[in-house]
Amino acid sequence: MSTDVRNSVTGAATPADAPTVATSPAELSPRRPAATPLSDDSRLAVDIRGLVERGELDEARRQFEGLVVAHQRRALRIAFQYLRDAAEADEAVQDAFVKVFSHIGSYREAWPFEVWFTRILINGCLDRRKARVRRDRWIVQSDDTTNASASLSDRRSFAAAANAPSGQLDPEARLLARERRARMTAAIERLEGRQRTVFMLCHYGDCTPREVGAMIGLNESTVRVHLFRAARKLRALLGGQP
Amino acid sequence: MIVRAPHLQDDVLYDCYYASRRGDAVDPPSAEHLADCQACATRYAELGTFLNTLSEDADAEVAALFPADRLRAQQQDIARRLELIGRAARVISFPGRAAGHGTSSTQVVRTPVRVARWIAVAAAAGLFVGVAAGTLFNGSARLDATRDARRPGAVASRRVNTPAPARLASSNVEEAVVDMDEMFMSDLETVLDRPHTSELVAFDALTPHVRDARDFPR
Repeated sequence: MSTDVRNSVTGAATPADAPTVATSPAELSPRRPAATPLSDDSRLAVDIRGLVERGELDEARRQFEGLVVAHQRRALRIAFQYLRDAAEADEAVQDAFVKVFSHIGSYREAWPFEVWFTRILINGCLDRRKARVRRDRWIVQSDDTTNASASLSDRRSFAAAANAPSGQLDPEARLLARERRARMTAAIERLEGRQRTVFMLCHYGDCTPREVGAMIGLNESTVRVHLFRAARKLRALLGGQP
Repeated sequence: MIVRAPHLQDDVLYDCYYASRRGDAVDPPSAEHLADCQACATRYAELGTFLNTLSEDADAEVAALFPADRLRAQQQDIARRLELIGRAARVISFPGRAAGHGTSSTQVVRTPVRVARWIAVAAAAGLFVGVAAGTLFNGSARLDATRDARRPGAVASRRVNTPAPARLASSNVEEAVVDMDEMFMSDLETVLDRPHTSELVAFDALTPHVRDARDFPR
């Protein structure tokens, strides 16, 4: 997978297996209409940036908690869909928030805070996926797994889904839901890198095609095409039924 | 004749779905068509069901994995990590130095260590001084003995220092004593010239010496 959405904040090396779509805030700023009003989160981020620049770190931290609460669940949803591992998703989200706070000085209100934060989060998730691939090369897979051909991440997701409490569902319904999630995960894993990123961001991240275009440096109409193809492929893979 | 609009393409249906999901306005011609065309409305409904199920499953999974208490714990973890930003890194001093810079309790704990260290240093110094003095003493004593034995006037001086009863003895007795002294000194010289290591004595016996050539009658 992987469309790299690096920016000046995370600025790490480009993965060898991914098309580079590096975009900097300077590149992004002209695209956004100046008349678009700032969202509440973006205004809050600007306030925090001012506090940090004035050295009022305690107040900045206090206000930053509001951003954390507002974006935490969405960030976890995105990170978990990328990583399929609850502990890793937890760490990735923490890292993203810490990185955002420590680099808040480089935030520019040309784009919504949500876009900036999501880019940082996705870059962190991509780094973790790459690290996991490197790590998995050294792990000998045992033969007694139920699905020997499944990748380690598939088995991880299956285990995560199996361990997840499913509320009031009866065992049969839980089993069916678990199988459905496993099929969905496998189908999403089969998407092409950019399609997958676009689908993740639009479907699980609740981002508009414009925002996704800003994040990964694509035209809005190109994002729409990727989204459409991804959804169509998923429907085909899942036989029209999720 | 009324020309019916063609059916909506799939990509338009997806656009309509995501627009309505975000709460944005759906493209008016598409919305109008969906209202009029039963086939497209059915396709749209199927698509919506499929994508909604994907989202609901994902939401349910994440909600189950990250309940409210875990979210609170994560917020606390983030707050804790943010507290560390902007603070100087804590440097943990090396244990050896820490004894000098530590608090009073630390000094109390480390006092026996310091005493033990001084004791070890004193013991090492004493051992060194003892070895050096012993070497020096033995070496000088042996050197004096060798020098005395080899000095030509040593026997004469001894004879001069001989106690009074010896001088009162007859000349034969006196010569015999002198011979005995010379033999003794000769033996002493031989012993001192020989190796002191027992393992080398055998080799020494096989080796010709200068003293043998000197003692051999010409």
